[in-house]
Amino acid sequence: MNADLFIPRSLDEALSVVQTHGAGLLVMGGGTMMMAHINEGIFFPQKVMSLARAGLSGVYRNGHTQIGATTHLTDVSQIADYPILAEAAFQIGGPAIRNMGTIGGNLYMPQPAGDLAVPLLAYDAHVELASASASRTISLEDFLAEPRSHRGVHELLVAVHLPDPTGYAAYLKLGRREANTPSVVAVGVRVVMDKQGQISDARLALGAVGSFAFRAKNAEAALIGQSLNTKSIADAAQIAMEESNPFTDALATAWYRRRMVGVFVKRTLEQLAK
Amino acid sequence: MESITVTFKLNGKTTAVAIEPLESLRTVLREHLHLHATKAGCGQGGCGSCTVLVNAEPVLSCLMLAALADGQEITTLEGIGTAQHMHPLQAAFFDRFAAQCGYCSPGMIMAAKALLDKNPHPTRAEIAEALAGNLCRCTGYVAILDAIEDVVTQMQEA
Repeated sequence: MNADLFIPRSLDEALSVVQTHGAGLLVMGGGTMMMAHINEGIFFPQKVMSLARAGLSGVYRNGHTQIGATTHLTDVSQIADYPILAEAAFQIGGPAIRNMGTIGGNLYMPQPAGDLAVPLLAYDAHVELASASASRTISLEDFLAEPRSHRGVHELLVAVHLPDPTGYAAYLKLGRREANTPSVVAVGVRVVMDKQGQISDARLALGAVGSFAFRAKNAEAALIGQSLNTKSIADAAQIAMEESNPFTDALATAWYRRRMVGVFVKRTLEQLAK
Repeated sequence: MESITVTFKLNGKTTAVAIEPLESLRTVLREHLHLHATKAGCGQGGCGSCTVLVNAEPVLSCLMLAALADGQEITTLEGIGTAQHMHPLQAAFFDRFAAQCGYCSPGMIMAAKALLDKNPHPTRAEIAEALAGNLCRCTGYVAILDAIEDVVTQMQEA
């Protein structure tokens, strides 16, 4: 287990490590996934950087909300202004995992882990990526869809940005048990209603039923102009099932995941109808 | 890079130890410092048997780089009681037969201690929530919850 370990004390220091060591560098947020791989003895990284002491945690309000990349899930679960983000964080792992795992690390988790992307997509989150020479802020949707191999190896995710939330939101996760489980499916919705009670804007995000968390845009479009009623909910659930591209793993088959998309989109929208 | 030295407060005593860069805190506690109460279970974050307190918060020592313990306060089961002077949680686990094989008990007790230090009057549901990351494969959960509730009652009476 001979390896180089870097524990930078600032973002600048972290970015210079990234610039120097580039592609071969493993970056850890809380380490809850990478340490598990290392413990398993199947993964032997040569260069590791932990961001735990780089000063990247904290929740700030400054016209919008900014959540530092290494903010622990425990702290994310207490952000009252974004209730379904808080709820999704609270449903990850147990208390000890939430004291270690970070929001930034969670966005790099392969499916079916990485639940936070689901409420964050529903809230139109953006992510800020920095390198030694530049920084860019892109939509979370684009970030998740960007193939890993194309992503700049000299970039770090430093913060998540959220506009002020509008409308009503709901989130449901199906796991194989109550706690400490990856998702069979995770559903996050947010709708904005006009004065007539018709949906003027909708976000419907799905996790664990594709190669990354995504917005079911056909289902979103079908909700626009509708009120939330039995038919509009059933239609959106059917379309979301068709838009999913689920996989089979140890938790569930693709067949089951797709059916649970229908059930849980329906239940999530029914929560909003109440 | 060969070994690095980390210094932390372990169960109240300043401790310096030479570690390999990617060693977990659990490995350092068990194999370098010979404190075996902290258990090596799944190594994956799934079982909670390696739970220790870092600055009074529960974490999984198998998933924590030991290098990050530098400058922190670490508490293991050895730090809260001995066979002669048991912590109230240890005594309650004993009285309530809350340990069968006992492998999960150190993690359960540390998770429970973290809860009671912050919230001395939790409901049974709050206790269960605090133990959500700790598995008991002897399925002794009812006795474990009973034991922790006993301690809550004792603290209310005291």
